[in-house]
Amino acid sequence: MSYSDDPVVLVIEDDPEVAETYRLWLEDEVDVRVAEDGADGLERLDPAVDIVLLDRRMPGLSGDEVLAEIRRRDLDCRVAMVTAVEPDFDILEMGFDAYLSKPLKRSTLVETVEQLLERASYDSLLQEYYALVEKRATLDATTNQAELARSEEYASLREEIDRLQSALADTLDGIEDDEDFVTTIRRLGDEN
Amino acid sequence: MYDLSTVIDVPRLAAVDPGTSFLISGPAMTGTDAIAMDVLAGGAARGEGAVAVTTQGSAETIIEAIQERSPGADPRHLAAIDCRRDGDGRAGAIGESYRYQVADPSDVTGMGVGITNSFDRLQGSGVDRIRFGLVTLSTMLTYADEETIFKFCHVLSSRIDAAGYLGAFTIDEGAHDAKTLQVLKQPFDAILEVREQDGGREARVRGFGSDPTDWVPLRG
Repeated sequence: MSYSDDPVVLVIEDDPEVAETYRLWLEDEVDVRVAEDGADGLERLDPAVDIVLLDRRMPGLSGDEVLAEIRRRDLDCRVAMVTAVEPDFDILEMGFDAYLSKPLKRSTLVETVEQLLERASYDSLLQEYYALVEKRATLDATTNQAELARSEEYASLREEIDRLQSALADTLDGIEDDEDFVTTIRRLGDEN
Repeated sequence: MYDLSTVIDVPRLAAVDPGTSFLISGPAMTGTDAIAMDVLAGGAARGEGAVAVTTQGSAETIIEAIQERSPGADPRHLAAIDCRRDGDGRAGAIGESYRYQVADPSDVTGMGVGITNSFDRLQGSGVDRIRFGLVTLSTMLTYADEETIFKFCHVLSSRIDAAGYLGAFTIDEGAHDAKTLQVLKQPFDAILEVREQDGGREARVRGFGSDPTDWVPLRG
């Protein structure tokens, strides 16, 4: 259970020194949980986890198997795969949200975690935005326009919609990057 | 700027800001899809790129439709993403134009990959201005819910905006209720409305923060 509002990163890494290094790099910005193998990681996984940092090759359950289970459980978290080998496949097709090559640099890990958190933020904003746009459209279709013009609640709704629209435009640079674009779209497809 | 005034003759369309996305909306049989093809072909004639997502016609039909309208268009600047459920599944080129095959009209992930590949490919062949068309949102709505399509349009129009391209998305306004139509107008900068009047077709533009234009007649 998380006692704070900080994002939660679950590190699944069988080398304890490496795991500890990742924890030190990240703990200023996020809550870090550490698991020593795939099975342990799956036990520590719950809806509070925002990002999973997963070593691809581990004894016991491999990174790919853990990824499959995460997707099967329909958890709303992003998965960054850590691998010693530069992949020759399209990571987006494999279902990860990012991949990192060993040996990991601190700046790379921190930047990747920040990017993934920003995508999560975008998703939440987009969800809220839709809910309010839908609410307003329903009101417009069912309520007398004169009544709506008098309604403070309706005016607040419109302001909130504008605010969310701006917030979205400021997140992920309004979707400038191809990887942000495809991974964001992919989540829509998964939810469908 | 993108010049769309040859498609619909209103001054407001002569210099459209890069990054703008339109919804082309009209009742069935008013040629909204053909307007989208006109928009893409108009750009192709000027050396701009054209990327189309099709849910009904084949990718070949789209490429041919653009080339018929703009015979001088460079085929390397054209790309089509075929989303038909019973598409023949052939990926690969159509002549020198790019084709991407997607599973069905709900496969937004496939569309995202196909669109990204198309943009990258066209940029690689030297175009930095691209007109994007999606025909039609109404078909997508028979396969996926309003929420998914809304978010898809928002994310895609944002991507188009960030890249400085132009987007044209079509919808059959008779196929959806008023609430759904209003929700789906939200992600767009402007709406091109089409109607039948006195045996002919007319169009006008709403949006860009100003009053709607007058109705003007459409060719054909």
